[in-house]
Amino acid sequence: MMIFTLKPRWKLVRITFLFLCMNLLSYAQEKMIEGKVVDSETNEILISATVQVIGTTVATITDFNGEFKLMAENGAVLEIKSLGYETVSEAAIFDALMTIQLAPSLNALNEVLLVGYSTQKKSDLTGAVSTVNSSDISALPVGGADQILQGQAAGVSVTQSSGAPGGGINIRIRGVGTINNNNPLYIIDGVPTQNGIDQISPNDIENISVLKDASSAAIYGARAANGVVIITTKKGKKGEVKVNINGYTGIQTSQHLINMANTAQYVNAFNIAATNDGRALIPDDIIAGLPNVNWQREVLEPAPISNVQASISGGSDNTTYIVSANYFNQEGLIRNSSFDRLNLRTSINSTLSKLFTVGVNMNLGYSKNRQVGSSGDGFGDGNPGASVLRYALFRTPATPVYNDSGQFVDLPENPGFFGDGLNPVGYADNYNRNFHEYSLLGNVFIELNPIENLKIRSDFGTNFVIVDYKQFFATWGIDRFLNSPNSLAQSNSTQFDYNWTNTATYDLTINENHVFQFLAGSELVKSNTRQQGASRTLYSDQDPAFQYLDNGLGIQQNGGNETHWALFSLFGRINYAFDNKYLATFNFRRDGSSRLDPSDRYGNFYGGSIGWRLDQEAFLEDVTAISLLKIRAGIGQLGNQEIGNYSYATLVSSSGYYPFGGANNQGNAINTLGNPNVRWETSTQTDVGLDLNVFNNALSLSADYYVKNTSGVLLQPQAPPSAGGTASAFVNAGKIRNQGFELELNYRGDINDKFKYDVTGNFATVTNEVISLAGGAPLVGARIDNNYFATRTAVGHPIGSFYLLQQEGIFQNEQEIFTHAYQGPGIKPGDVMFRDVSGPNGEPDGVIDENDRSFVGKSIPDFTYGLTANGSYANFDISLFFQGVYGNKIYNQINTDIEGFYRAFNITERIATQSWDGEGSTNEFPRLSWDGATNNKRPSSRFLENGSYLRLKNIQLGYTLSENTSKLLKFSSVRVFVSAQNVFTITEYTGIDPEIYTNGNSAGDGVRAVGIDWGTYPSARTFTVGLNANF
Amino acid sequence: MIKKYIHIGIMGTLVFLGAGCSDSLDQPILGTYQADQYFTSLANANAALTAVYVPLSYTDAFSNQIWVLGDVSSDDAVKGSLPGDQADIDNINNFNIQTSNAAVESVWGRYYDGVSKANFVLGGLTDENKEIPDEDKAVIIGQAKFLRAYYYFTLTNSYGNIPLRLEVATADNLAAPVVPQAEIYAQIETDCIDAAAALPTSWDGSDFGKATKGAALSLLAKTYLFEKKYELAAAAAKQVEDLGIYSLTQKFTDNFYATTENNSEVIFSILHTSGLSPKQGSGLNQAFAPRGALNGYGFFQPTQNLVDNFEQTADGVDDPRLDYTVARVGHPYFDMEFDPSWSNTGYLSKKQVQPLSEVPIEIKGDGNLNVEAIRFADVLLIEAEALNELGNGAAALIPLNKIRKRARESYLYDDSLGNTTVPDGLLPDITTTDQSQLRNIIRRERRSELALEFGRFYDIIRYGSAYASDALKDIPNFNFETNTFFPIPQSERSTNNLLD
Repeated sequence: MMIFTLKPRWKLVRITFLFLCMNLLSYAQEKMIEGKVVDSETNEILISATVQVIGTTVATITDFNGEFKLMAENGAVLEIKSLGYETVSEAAIFDALMTIQLAPSLNALNEVLLVGYSTQKKSDLTGAVSTVNSSDISALPVGGADQILQGQAAGVSVTQSSGAPGGGINIRIRGVGTINNNNPLYIIDGVPTQNGIDQISPNDIENISVLKDASSAAIYGARAANGVVIITTKKGKKGEVKVNINGYTGIQTSQHLINMANTAQYVNAFNIAATNDGRALIPDDIIAGLPNVNWQREVLEPAPISNVQASISGGSDNTTYIVSANYFNQEGLIRNSSFDRLNLRTSINSTLSKLFTVGVNMNLGYSKNRQVGSSGDGFGDGNPGASVLRYALFRTPATPVYNDSGQFVDLPENPGFFGDGLNPVGYADNYNRNFHEYSLLGNVFIELNPIENLKIRSDFGTNFVIVDYKQFFATWGIDRFLNSPNSLAQSNSTQFDYNWTNTATYDLTINENHVFQFLAGSELVKSNTRQQGASRTLYSDQDPAFQYLDNGLGIQQNGGNETHWALFSLFGRINYAFDNKYLATFNFRRDGSSRLDPSDRYGNFYGGSIGWRLDQEAFLEDVTAISLLKIRAGIGQLGNQEIGNYSYATLVSSSGYYPFGGANNQGNAINTLGNPNVRWETSTQTDVGLDLNVFNNALSLSADYYVKNTSGVLLQPQAPPSAGGTASAFVNAGKIRNQGFELELNYRGDINDKFKYDVTGNFATVTNEVISLAGGAPLVGARIDNNYFATRTAVGHPIGSFYLLQQEGIFQNEQEIFTHAYQGPGIKPGDVMFRDVSGPNGEPDGVIDENDRSFVGKSIPDFTYGLTANGSYANFDISLFFQGVYGNKIYNQINTDIEGFYRAFNITERIATQSWDGEGSTNEFPRLSWDGATNNKRPSSRFLENGSYLRLKNIQLGYTLSENTSKLLKFSSVRVFVSAQNVFTITEYTGIDPEIYTNGNSAGDGVRAVGIDWGTYPSARTFTVGLNANF
Repeated sequence: MIKKYIHIGIMGTLVFLGAGCSDSLDQPILGTYQADQYFTSLANANAALTAVYVPLSYTDAFSNQIWVLGDVSSDDAVKGSLPGDQADIDNINNFNIQTSNAAVESVWGRYYDGVSKANFVLGGLTDENKEIPDEDKAVIIGQAKFLRAYYYFTLTNSYGNIPLRLEVATADNLAAPVVPQAEIYAQIETDCIDAAAALPTSWDGSDFGKATKGAALSLLAKTYLFEKKYELAAAAAKQVEDLGIYSLTQKFTDNFYATTENNSEVIFSILHTSGLSPKQGSGLNQAFAPRGALNGYGFFQPTQNLVDNFEQTADGVDDPRLDYTVARVGHPYFDMEFDPSWSNTGYLSKKQVQPLSEVPIEIKGDGNLNVEAIRFADVLLIEAEALNELGNGAAALIPLNKIRKRARESYLYDDSLGNTTVPDGLLPDITTTDQSQLRNIIRRERRSELALEFGRFYDIIRYGSAYASDALKDIPNFNFETNTFFPIPQSERSTNNLLD
């Protein structure tokens, strides 16, 4: 209405105004309007908001106090705009100070991102930063804060180690830049941590920013090469006391079991093989009485999961607070595995005076993780033990779980027929491996505001973690005496990390067009870790009441050690914006590290980026569909300081014992060779990106292309065994390149008042290539057999590529064997035929041997993606979350046991029923023969499978009670929901779970040994019901 | 305005206050020595020496697979155990040997690790090092040299031409070329001669098991024998005899029982002790014991061919060493009855295995039996062989007949044989001095005496193509030319770019 009334006057006003201006006279009817623009939610002042008298060119922008003054005539209407806020029009008021409240717009433009030591509006950003908000993550039934990143941000690949409760998570930002530590740096409320993300509840997280490119991450210098994840926890907000309770509870079930042979199929296959090999058949009288056990069902039992979170928050004008408590409990599908976590958190911010603000964030955490052997065959240091599932797969169905007196059957009566694998139920039942973690994560800060636009802040943060490990190895078994003598091991480690960070930021605007923000700071980070452990053997009573060190009557052992490291740094940043169109950022950091040789401990890291807001240009002004169009480009250098504490030194330590005089005499030898020239790995990254918001911000898009070159990659050139058993020195020699394309898309649609929906998707490619190993030999990884490694890291190939023989088919007849390359003695029709790829001279040589191994696949996916769809209709809401990877391979090592047919182990149904049994029968599965296994189970592409999958990770249906009903119940809002996790998975992978990082055996090989499945702990399908209430 | 500057001053101070913190970067290396500062005390030097002994041990039968290379490969034993378990051991037996074969890798890595640890000691105990008394230094160096020679001896016999490493590898010097076997043997000779000069003739008490002068001379004799330097071999063996402290035990079995293992025949023992943690017991006890109730793994089963090597009198009385060495039906398996289902060949090894009364099944893999790596019987047989090859058959008969006498006189000293007289015609003294005849006799004697002591394959190869091809005639894949040595393992080939 108003617009219509105004319109006829428009010309008049304009002419009058122009006339008056020309005369440089004040017009009697114009009056001064004074006012202030604030955020409607936070009441914070808004700087640089545009205030314009509608229908005129009279306009101004708010100053640093959010205030404005301008002249207008009676009845004028003001239009107030600010980036990231809904534009409003208000009638001018002349007699009083106007307070104009702007509501944040529902688009992402106003999003404020954490960029390291300060914040930046997303619209001003020139680097590549992804964000995840609490709303995206609140109700996923996951145990760890790190898991919620999965599928949420392009270029951030998240893979769980396994489905075990409390199991680790592997986060890779923009590929794999090094063969060493690829974990990002986590900054939680300003505190740098390595594993602090495990210590907080996902429900306490307000926001996660991921600094992906070097121009933005350079502010973290020597620790940022793998990307930086910045987490802010929830804070109180000014206003009434809010109480929030949310919780869910549910049940986890097993899914996608492997089709194994049943007893009849097993016996049939065994007897075929026995006939083939001329061995004893399982006689009919034994067959008659055999049980038929499905071991996967026996070890994977439904298990509960639940979470409850309560928080109280609020605040006055000067002080805000939040107090929250969280308890999470997850029992594992496998007996004796579980994860419990309890968190208490407080955050208080208080403005003491105009000059001072102080605050504190404190998170107290306790978690208990009970583990069973869930990965690998138990080989290797630190391996929690052979996988229960592996035994469940290869224990034959013809052996009962219990005997008549209720004891676990140990060895079958006829191990020659039915194998000697452990009873997996008994094995899990006797597992008693516990980790208790107590942590304090938090900071205190004081902020000074001595003059306008200058903030000085001093932060003291700490992450204090105590981990208690206790494992009792009970003697069990009725035929064998496993863990004999029984023993108890305990250890305790204390990690005290602290940081003292001082920063100053200064905002400067020159001539209204030149907006600067300066940041300068210093930081000291120190870490002290101390551990001690003890064990005793011979417990006459295995009752838990006696599982204490004091009660061990046998051998007593103990040990302990301590390490320190420190980092001292100076850093700075300049942000510059010209006319809101041209943006630039420059970051600098100088780091000194105790991990380098004392003679040279410092290094400098730079990063810079520029952006251009095309939407602010005149030529796009009229294109109303575009609300944001920005192109940006950046370059920078980052370091990776996870190079070990003492890589520069050659170290001597204990290397075993020898029993002179019947006692253990310690032997010392060189344990690691040092290299005084070791430097941190340096990654140089260039990034170009585009941000586009169109259709009134309904559709937003962000795309990036990057090239990340890591040089000086620390290689530990595999020493020849003839150089002795010492670990070889690290040398900065390798070059690795990652490049990729990332896309994030969001669309919000409101079909009508009741029906709304939004869809968010992300997609990222990564191409990884080893550029140089400085002439060194390719690096092997993933031991899958004695001295046999499945992967090779070689120039021209992605890190950890599978390097195996290729199965060419199955020999159908003698003729084929005769004409084919020689594979060794005793090859018969029905055996696996391998491709003659090469020979000692690089040419096929008619002999199948080590020279015929070739690169047959990679563990790094071509692309990863995630898709979240939310919809609401009236009070109902639904959300779906898909996540997937494409183009990676998995070496199904467990299939070498259950399809390799080399011992009396159970086999898959397809091997039992579809194996070669005559010319033309199959070209895939070899004949049933143990004698043939030496050839047939040779590590080859036979066991390498497509690891691509698409998984409906979560589906959730919610109902929000109407306001009236809520009020009746004395709540301000109540939402109830049901949710299902891991609903379905589309994959060709025949193993139990394609979402596998690697296995316990290969853990020490890091990224050189990803995607080796020894029978992993599977992900559960979880059904939950939950409630979220505020009052 | 002044106030403003004060505030800026405060800012500056705060931000750069940390500058003083740069001292924090001086974090000492805690709890571990840097290698160049290690040899500062006798205790440290001794600990470094102890480390050199560690790879000798058989705490884990499958990480020290010298029994596979030395015997499973020969006509004396097969893999045993369940089909398919540790298939690479079968691959050795059948000479279907990939470069990645586990046994081939295991012996190479383990023995070179011993070499490297010896080199660390030898490199640290230089003449310039004055912190360790000279006398102690000499004895430590002597032991390290003996051990280095011991490791090289097995390495070159197994793999032929191999890298010769006399210094600890450094970061920029990891690869090493192979050198001819003769150079390896020459180094072994030098080390043994140095060691013999530095080492005492015996050690007392808790030092038992350390290398002695006799051990160094015996290894020297054996090296000369392998080099076919018969004169030197005979002389070195004589030197061992002349020490006057070694003699054959009355009972052959004294060398294979824990209670009698420290006897006059032992020259160098690899020590095992039960009940320690980390475990220092013998894993062979479990690996070689039968599966099932005895909680063994059933590996290392003797062949009929070996059994047939033991002499028998016209009356059918066996060489008593047969039943001391091999378990078989109708004869007790220590304190119990032999169950034929235990073995595929019908036989099990008794050497390196202990009765349940000594090591119960609960600690089966933690036996306390030492392994006599060098015993006086071996030295006598070296002497006999060397003398015969020199054409001095008469002299060779003396040591040879000592071996036979002790064997047959088991009937005088072993109550379990239930006889107090030596059966007629059992292991009579040899009288022939015909070189060729005597050569065959000595070879047969050596095989019986030292059966299943992990060295048969090296003897077979040493005896030459004709002997070896005959001994392994049942293994169609065996070819003397290509199988004289095991291949240098894959892990070395893919990392040592100076190999060829």
